[in-house]
Amino acid sequence: MVTIRSVLRSARLAAPAALLAVVAACGGSDDNNNIDNSGGGNTSFVDGNHYSAAAGASLTTPNEATGVTHGSLTLGGTAVAYTTTAGHLTALDGNQAAEASIFYVAYTADGASAATRPVTFFFNGGPGSATAWLHLGSFAPKRLSTGIPSTTQGTPFPYVDNTESLIDTSDLVFVDAVGTGLSQAIAPHTNQDFWGVDQDAAVLRDFIARWLTVNGRTASPLFVFGESYGTTRVPVLVRLLETAGQRVHGVVELSSIVDYNSNCSVNGGKPTVNCAGFLPSYAAVGDWWHVASGGTSDLDADLAAVRSYADATYKPDADAWLADGTLPPASHISALVAFTGLGASTWQQQFDMDFDTFRHRLIANTTLGVYDGRMSALLGTPLDADDDPSNTFVAPGFQSEIRTLLPQLGYTNPTTYVMSSNAIATWDFSHGGRALPDVVPDLSAALALDPQIKILFLGGEHDLITPFHQTELDVARLGAGAPVALHFHPGGHMTYLDDGSRPLMKAELAAFYASATGAR
Amino acid sequence: MRTALLVCLLALAATTVAAAPLRDPAQPPSAVQRAAQAQNRVHPASVGATLDAEALAHLRASFDAADTAHRGTLSRAEAQAGGFGWIANHFDAIDTARAGRVSFDDVRRYLKSRDASATTH
Repeated sequence: MVTIRSVLRSARLAAPAALLAVVAACGGSDDNNNIDNSGGGNTSFVDGNHYSAAAGASLTTPNEATGVTHGSLTLGGTAVAYTTTAGHLTALDGNQAAEASIFYVAYTADGASAATRPVTFFFNGGPGSATAWLHLGSFAPKRLSTGIPSTTQGTPFPYVDNTESLIDTSDLVFVDAVGTGLSQAIAPHTNQDFWGVDQDAAVLRDFIARWLTVNGRTASPLFVFGESYGTTRVPVLVRLLETAGQRVHGVVELSSIVDYNSNCSVNGGKPTVNCAGFLPSYAAVGDWWHVASGGTSDLDADLAAVRSYADATYKPDADAWLADGTLPPASHISALVAFTGLGASTWQQQFDMDFDTFRHRLIANTTLGVYDGRMSALLGTPLDADDDPSNTFVAPGFQSEIRTLLPQLGYTNPTTYVMSSNAIATWDFSHGGRALPDVVPDLSAALALDPQIKILFLGGEHDLITPFHQTELDVARLGAGAPVALHFHPGGHMTYLDDGSRPLMKAELAAFYASATGAR
Repeated sequence: MRTALLVCLLALAATTVAAAPLRDPAQPPSAVQRAAQAQNRVHPASVGATLDAEALAHLRASFDAADTAHRGTLSRAEAQAGGFGWIANHFDAIDTARAGRVSFDDVRRYLKSRDASATTH
């Protein structure tokens, strides 16, 4: 019996079949349309365009040519032959005018039925981050092996066959948002035109429509997968897809921020809202470093206890401290010290505990990772260079691999693939009448249009920037009947990098896809 | 002197921001944060009927965007052309009066009736 350290809450809305029959007006499926991308040889494409991530950049000569290569991966004893396609497609607005040239890498299984084979679009976040993280680290047929949270693996990271790939379940399309990777606005648009919550989601909706049309896949079960800011992007995108009449079967949200207004640390500095959603993550990190005296050997049980304490006791205490600086009784401080290992004096100074204070004060002379609190650097060492060892350790390996990989996939371009752009500086965060986005209403709207959508939230228990309990609190707003499942595992923000948790996530994803596609 | 100090501090702050690696999710600009904080005091996170209303407001905005003639109603073709293909796909079920045009209230009624039929199962 394998013990799975996961947190699971699942409440699925049963799909009423009669209702299905009444409202099944989403277009016919093309049963005989098999995906025909096998047989051909490899195709190379040398793309002469210069792509720019600058705010004012504008492309005048978009193309839709691709590099095509073939591969095979054996999963569970079965070989899956697949085709990899790398290049651009032009997102078109409602008047068929060009908006942006979007770069993607698609892994599609050969010979599958277009009517039943799912296709999943993946988006990292930032805003301003390329999707190289999900592409190279998560569920593609190959992945980078980082060995985290250990920091002993040398670079370049080995690029290995991925026994947890989702290619046996779904076609996989990794998409770079405008002004990241090699994606750029098309004249007269500039990149800045698509640097906003709503603008970004709309152009990515149009990219998905273009990809599905060009590839004859409009009837395929559609899944959308976001990470980090991608989990803000995806609910808006899914609402827009459903509004346009393109049904979505499943939504995967990894390391979520579905409400910028409730996350106490995303704004930096002293929090202005309570950090109750962070407390269980602090406890998980304290447990990892063996400084949380209240911890036991059972992390799940510990986290359940901290979760209850966070909601019932810490939240009102933190609200009171925020209001007028009132500290709770000493017994409450002692409880927090026992749960997390963080010293009493630090709690007294900064009772509403932001992650930066926590990760710099938990262990003397040591910085803990933002993305993964299990990773550390002694002050002044190379891993501490940009104040996040969990980023510093992995980022160069991802950047170098994507630049090496694209020519191997038959796509060559003179410009440098942009891992992260400056979009954040001029991003339009306004959404739904708020200055900072809350996309829970977008999920609610998408579910109103299509009650059969299934939503899966995944994340790492040691991620200090999008803490799992905050996700639980945000998602609870959808109500007990919402078709939502949540699973959290040991690991950081890029939870799939953890060699123990990636197989657990793969199993959960396989079950999720079966549930989301079997229901209709 | 005080101005010079301020300029130096601002320059230092700018340098620090430029040197920091991108965090994902990244920190929004401080002016945006202040605006959000002021709003949040008045409009806390929505649940229940308030959340439903915010969800409907998104759909209403899409309806209004498709209604380029500002008639308050959409035909099936107008809905399709205006980017609200969902209305076109469900048109007959929404247009219970067989008027050939649907208002946003018709859409809302349809969603509500479908919701009610779902919960009886």
